[in-house]
Amino acid sequence: MVSVRLEKVTKKFGKVVAVNNVDLEIEEGEFMALLGPSGSGKSTLLYLIAGIYKPTSGKIFFDDHDVTNLPPRERNVGLVFQNYALYPHMKVYDNIAFPLKIKKVPKEEIRRKVFEVAKLLRIEHLLDRYPGQLSGGQQQRVAIARALVKEPQVLLLDEPLSNLDALLRVSVRSELKRLQKNLGITAIYVTHDQAEAMALADRIAIINEGVIQQVDLPEVVYNRPKNMFVGGFIGNPPMNFVEAGVEYNETVKLIVGEDSVWLPQEYIEILRKLKLQKVVLGFRPEDVLVLKDESQVEPGSSVIRGEIFTVEPMGREVLLTIMIGETMVKVYAPPTQYYSMGDKVFLQINPAKLRLFDPDTTIALEYLVKT
Amino acid sequence: MMQLWDVEVKSRKIEIVLILAVLLASLPLILNYGLLILSSFSTEMVTNLDPTSFRPTIDNWILLFEGRLSVTGGVREDVVRYTINTAIVALGVAGVVVLVSVMAGYAMSRMNFKGRSLIMQLILLLHAFPGVALIIAVYLIFRATLPSDIELARIYSFAYVIVARAALEIPMSIWLIKGFFDRVPWEVEWAAIIDGASRLRVWREVMLPMVKPGIAAIAIFAFLAGWEDLIYVRTFLFDRTLATYIESNINVEFAYMPLLAAAGTLYLLPTILFFILTQRLLLETSTGGIKG
Repeated sequence: MVSVRLEKVTKKFGKVVAVNNVDLEIEEGEFMALLGPSGSGKSTLLYLIAGIYKPTSGKIFFDDHDVTNLPPRERNVGLVFQNYALYPHMKVYDNIAFPLKIKKVPKEEIRRKVFEVAKLLRIEHLLDRYPGQLSGGQQQRVAIARALVKEPQVLLLDEPLSNLDALLRVSVRSELKRLQKNLGITAIYVTHDQAEAMALADRIAIINEGVIQQVDLPEVVYNRPKNMFVGGFIGNPPMNFVEAGVEYNETVKLIVGEDSVWLPQEYIEILRKLKLQKVVLGFRPEDVLVLKDESQVEPGSSVIRGEIFTVEPMGREVLLTIMIGETMVKVYAPPTQYYSMGDKVFLQINPAKLRLFDPDTTIALEYLVKT
Repeated sequence: MMQLWDVEVKSRKIEIVLILAVLLASLPLILNYGLLILSSFSTEMVTNLDPTSFRPTIDNWILLFEGRLSVTGGVREDVVRYTINTAIVALGVAGVVVLVSVMAGYAMSRMNFKGRSLIMQLILLLHAFPGVALIIAVYLIFRATLPSDIELARIYSFAYVIVARAALEIPMSIWLIKGFFDRVPWEVEWAAIIDGASRLRVWREVMLPMVKPGIAAIAIFAFLAGWEDLIYVRTFLFDRTLATYIESNINVEFAYMPLLAAAGTLYLLPTILFFILTQRLLLETSTGGIKG
């Protein structure tokens, strides 16, 4: 097992910059998720680590060993692809044995190792079949077995669950996490599915347009997004954003339409320092209390008025789309209430959970103060 | 694997009409070959569509393989030898075409080098060039390189006609097999490279098995091109093949036509056989291991 370190890595394809000056460190035994929308450069980053692509500039280290110019076979990495990339003309056994066969491992040892890893992934009974005879989930297990059999220093996974159906995805997901922890292997996992990243990873690196936006623990990424992109990418539905004015008096408060929003002390101090006239108010769908009647509003708390645009029952809760002025926001409400289109409602945002962003740089205010 | 069904909107009646139309259109062809085969089993040609002229016999076939073709002035024709010669040329062409095309096709599909698209266009241009138009230049090279020893020259003429005929087939074959390589996902090749295989090994152990239907296709086309070739064989080959044998006898005054019909049928056989045997392989486009 090794740690992986990227230093100022840039990859250009002609004029297109796929990966832009990326610094990233993945610790030994860590499960790191590279999360980003399609075309963000996350897969390119993975292939750079695998050695399929060479960086235009920058360096890649495994521990303290510079691997930037090493071909893939000398890096000893295992790679699992989204489409599994099994060799269709070989039986499952030969698929898994292929990396060992290339390394000229003695036959007996190959046999032992293939059976060992097949047992680990519970595919011993499939060794005699061809990949085309397997289900998607089984094929994915074979692909993982092939990546693990050579005991790689780093396990790289490129959207390995995207081709599985929803139910299977969740079960393979938890198996994968357990497997990684049991083996203690350093793993880098590329995905566009934020739920997958949250569920699997020790840390998440969010990438957009080839640039790393934030690298943090899942809960930090979720609760304290560094910028509006991260907030708007993570969460289902993602964070809501509403433009707001700032009023500086004896206290500092936000003005949304005709309503004012009280702020927690932390933000009052930050705003007094930054003296912004406008901010973007961000809040998650679950951090809002939807009140149907003004009389329900507790005295001393602040609410924003809105009108229900659509109602989508989800079973455990109801997803409401609400218009605040011209802005649409999505919030979760308990299904015990009856909501209908056109209802006027009052939104009470949990002050501890609301986040403020600078409208010009889109960076969260607390990060703006720190740097 | 999912079974592919046609869209279920066509009516039975239209289908019957269509089948009849297709049969009607191919009737001349079926009639043509049917009469040829029938004539080879008759003492008289039946091409006049008169069934009374059909008198069954297998003497034509016996005579053919005994090589007794009295009409050629007593010279015995060794048909077995010609068949072997034809097979040597056809298999040789197929071998050379496959060998060159699978290497060139892979390079054109997968390797990034300067002038690749230019080469691809030139190859296409080369394909548009008819073989006859090149034959004088090809002949000059043949004359210049021909060994003086007669036995050696005979063997050389085989090698020369094989390579020259293959050269005409190679451009199209490269394009065809390139298409098959293009369809193999990059990830499969990457996986093998990550697993530690060299590029050559990836090509041999992973890529080639995945383009098998394509290899079969170009091999068949090349084989048939070699089998049916007349001009190149006639120009360069010292020996005779079935094509030159039939061609040289067809205009002979005393040609015994039913026997030539047998020779023609024999000449047709591999074409039909090849297609029947490899039809499944040609249709098989399995690139399994990829679901989605």
